[in-house]
Amino acid sequence: MFLDLHTHSVASDDSRATVEQYIRWSSVLQNKGYRIDGFVLTEHRQFDHGLDYTDLSSESGLLILKGAELDTDCGHFLVYGVTKPLTDSIDFSDVNIDATKLVELCDDLGAIAIPAHPGRAGIGFAEYVSTRRAGFKTIGVVEGLNGSNRPGEGEKAALLIQQRGYLSTGGSDAHIVSAIGTCMTLFKDKITTEAELVLALRAGNYNPVMLESSKD
Amino acid sequence: MTSDEGIVYDRSLLGVEHPIGSFKVSRDMITGFARSTGETKSIYLGDTDNLDDLVAPPTICNIFVNGVSRPDIKLKFGDMNFFAGQSIECKKDVRPGDTLNASTHLDNVYAKTGRSGKMIFAVWQTTFKNQNGDTVALVNESFVRRNRAK
Repeated sequence: MFLDLHTHSVASDDSRATVEQYIRWSSVLQNKGYRIDGFVLTEHRQFDHGLDYTDLSSESGLLILKGAELDTDCGHFLVYGVTKPLTDSIDFSDVNIDATKLVELCDDLGAIAIPAHPGRAGIGFAEYVSTRRAGFKTIGVVEGLNGSNRPGEGEKAALLIQQRGYLSTGGSDAHIVSAIGTCMTLFKDKITTEAELVLALRAGNYNPVMLESSKD
Repeated sequence: MTSDEGIVYDRSLLGVEHPIGSFKVSRDMITGFARSTGETKSIYLGDTDNLDDLVAPPTICNIFVNGVSRPDIKLKFGDMNFFAGQSIECKKDVRPGDTLNASTHLDNVYAKTGRSGKMIFAVWQTTFKNQNGDTVALVNESFVRRNRAK
């Protein structure tokens, strides 16, 4: 199944897209022959346990899951499988979260933390892993395809993945409606919940894809 | 939204209303604004003789918030300021003859990190009320402070 693992709705301060608009645009893509089976809302520096997209998901036939994009001392991290114990343990609104601690806590609490857009200057993992920090022994996955990358950032991410043997995901990093699905992750297994997404990400049966390659 | 712990600024300003003025809305003001923003609907352009048909475009309050002087929040961070965006929430029609009273308050201060490093956003919300005391619009404006690139 094709999932966009990195999207932002109006809940993020820099997005003007609503979840309903993403659903409609996904339908437009499907009508044009592209495959998009769902998306994960990874709002900046927050996670709302009270938000439930089950009804929207049922009505639209799209899998709609929740995650978060957090600001750490080693760049931005996408977190999937967020639970109450995790949000109780880390202040998601902190713009300088200890990345090592975040990764370890996620490992312990059934979530997974993945460096987002690792090739991006200032907020990409590649810069920190090469110049400042070692460690992160349990990181096995990074976001290899990001739909909002600027020239050079994708290449830098690809080099990191090649050098360290990371698995790679794809996400649009959509902040506007028409950006959803531009990059996705193609999973071999069916996913229906956030917990299953975490298991699938750790299992490794997936690869990042561009929208064009999803076309029937 | 992000917490503002660790950000140094004058917190006494949070939520405190500061009057910024009273504005009389005229027919010419509405039609002039509508033409300048490319409106095509007659309800905004006043193409009919019936004054009651004329309504101000939803973004009319933007005229009044431009150039407004706000208190200095004394933020201890960064050396560059940018305007970071605006949203307008319309609550009620504005019509010719209305008098709008506006006040503004510091609504939120928060940090985030982007391609250029850490940024701190200050969000000001301006409330416009008509002569009857009804809120007609809420204008949210964000201003960002960051460090100059080295």
